[in-house]
Amino acid sequence: MIYATIDIGSTWTKGASFRLVGDRVRLERRAARPTTVANLSDAFFGVLSEIVAGDPLDQLRGGELRLRYSSSAKGGLAVAAIGLVPDVTLEIGKLAAQSAGARLSQVFSYRLTASDVAQLEKRQPDIVLLAGGTDGGNSDYVLANAAALAASRLDCDFVYAGNREVADEVAALLAGKRLKVVPNLLPDFNEPNPDPARDAIRSIFLDAIVKGKGLDVIMDATGSEPVPTPFAVLEYTRTIRELVPGWSEFLLLDMGGATTDVYSAHLDTPSSGVIRRGLPEPTVKRTVEGDLGMRVSAQAVCELGDTTLAATLEAHNVSKADLAAYAARVTAHPDSIPTGTEERRLDTLLAGLCVGHAVARHVGRMTSVYTPEGEVLVQTGRDLSKLPKVVGSGGWLAKAEGFSPGAWFDGHLIDQRGRSVLAPRNFAYYRDADYLFPLLANLARDIPAAAARAGIDFLVAQETRSEHATA
Amino acid sequence: MSETNVILGVIGSDCHAVGNKIIDTVLTGEGFRVTNLGVMVSQDEFIDAAIEVGAGAILVSSIYGHGEIDCAGFRGRCIERGLEDIVLYVGGNLVIGKRDFSEVETLFKDMGYDRVFPPTVDIKSVAQSLRQDIAARQ
Ligand code: B12
Repeated sequence: MIYATIDIGSTWTKGASFRLVGDRVRLERRAARPTTVANLSDAFFGVLSEIVAGDPLDQLRGGELRLRYSSSAKGGLAVAAIGLVPDVTLEIGKLAAQSAGARLSQVFSYRLTASDVAQLEKRQPDIVLLAGGTDGGNSDYVLANAAALAASRLDCDFVYAGNREVADEVAALLAGKRLKVVPNLLPDFNEPNPDPARDAIRSIFLDAIVKGKGLDVIMDATGSEPVPTPFAVLEYTRTIRELVPGWSEFLLLDMGGATTDVYSAHLDTPSSGVIRRGLPEPTVKRTVEGDLGMRVSAQAVCELGDTTLAATLEAHNVSKADLAAYAARVTAHPDSIPTGTEERRLDTLLAGLCVGHAVARHVGRMTSVYTPEGEVLVQTGRDLSKLPKVVGSGGWLAKAEGFSPGAWFDGHLIDQRGRSVLAPRNFAYYRDADYLFPLLANLARDIPAAAARAGIDFLVAQETRSEHATA
Repeated sequence: MSETNVILGVIGSDCHAVGNKIIDTVLTGEGFRVTNLGVMVSQDEFIDAAIEVGAGAILVSSIYGHGEIDCAGFRGRCIERGLEDIVLYVGGNLVIGKRDFSEVETLFKDMGYDRVFPPTVDIKSVAQSLRQDIAARQ
């Protein structure tokens, strides 16, 4: 049996074929072509014919070939999340959207104002996720927000994942819109339930990317559906955690031109002397940063208004103007490759800033509180400080041999509120040198154990980092 | 706002966990839907939970003797964040040293708490007044 897997990215359509030998997979062929935006099926079938000998469609029908594919069209759909309290239902809404593979374009809490609605109309998100209230809890805010959305000019998909007691009323209010009602993402205060909202967003995402652009042609010819790439990678992270010995705890960085995605597999266990606050953390988590990226988002990186940026520029003896000028150049020419030492230095600086900030936002915080009994530690979010392994993927990190992310994580030891940033400190760093993770993620849907094993086997080990050795 | 949804927690840096679990068990048995935030709960965490759950009351415990500092300003914060009608109870070892309970009661009522309880209170009787107080606010 031959397994073919293809990932349709925004600039490249990449594919690979594998053969299952015992319980291992062997890489057979690889190919990549520029994505044909007008009709995605052109590049897709071009790549397919390169990675499969003979007639692939014939072999698919005969059952000798298995095909899986993913698409990251538009860099993921833009989701606007509306919750009630920022740290509660809005936070779970953000998690649901990010784990579905979407990009958060806007967030709102409490009651939508007229100017909030105007902002939504201006940005035109693909999906609006509306939540708020536990089941049987507050209903005033979601009803008011549903009425405001109903009266708006927004023409997009809506997902309601709030207090189920008023789900029918919300449905009646939004009768003129395309609405999916799913179970509440916070049915009970201490038990978040983001999965139904996440599945709804993912299925809307699929319907949207399939429409036009030639994906329907691919579906008809191959008889299978695509999945959103970030969703496939999140599930792949889970598969590796579950099936590869020694890999139950790791972090995966996927940095592209427009976004930096961070995935982590980690089970937060209670430790003595530490009190946990905030929502419970999922074991496998994805966050995506739309303002951190190497090309399309390079200028936004220079606008990060915090002390870390200033300190980094000073430490590297680079002026903000020089970095901004470079960012403007690469944003205008997203396929540019740095030439000369100076450009390479600036490119690495951009990458380091993206990686450092994205990880700092992904991980939790620890702060100490003095009580009459002495010091007590209070933790919010996930503690990845003891995570043993970090993987770098995505075009830039795949090729960056000498790059060491640890130094960039350490630009964020303490945040602006004086809390410790719980980023990995002593870890082994691995590079997905052939950028196979998205392709293997597709494969994992058919042969999870072999695909997970292969992803790890193909990694190139970089330096192992110990905090004290570098200090 | 719901008649049976209530928020429970121990305020400030207070780690005393036993009484909190007892109150949760008794009130749940009395038919309340208790959202228990456990120990070391900040004022804002109480309020966040009360908003989402649509709670009718917040029950604050303070056991370790710093109640006077931790509990101050809570009513104002509730009003500021849109919970003007919520019922507020406070109980535990609210102050340090031997002070007359009526004095302690006045102190906390002035802060805006509707009822103030000593550690010896019977939680079943608290359930009864809780039902009445929430109903009166609706
Ligand atoms: C066990 C204990 C501890 C344990 C707690 C373990 C844990 N995680 O739960 C440990 C050793 C950690 C501890 C630490 C401290 N403790 Co201590 N501790 C006790 C002890 C012995 C028992 C507490 C208990 O569980 N009681 C049983 C439960 C069922 O009762 P309860 O907590 O009072 O709760 C009931 C009522 O108060 C009421 N209630 C409580 N809240 C509310 C709210 C409402 C709305 C209502 C209606 C009712 C209500 O209902 C509850 C159920 O019946 C008490 C002494 C005592 N006998 O009470 C001291 C005591 C509470 N501790 C005390 C002190 C001072 C401390 C420390 C500051 C000591 C120090 N210097 O380090 C630290 C503080 C730590 C912190 N940050 O919180 C003092 C408090 C003094 C005061 N308030 O005037 C006490 C009273 C001892 C004393 N006599 O000095 N403590």
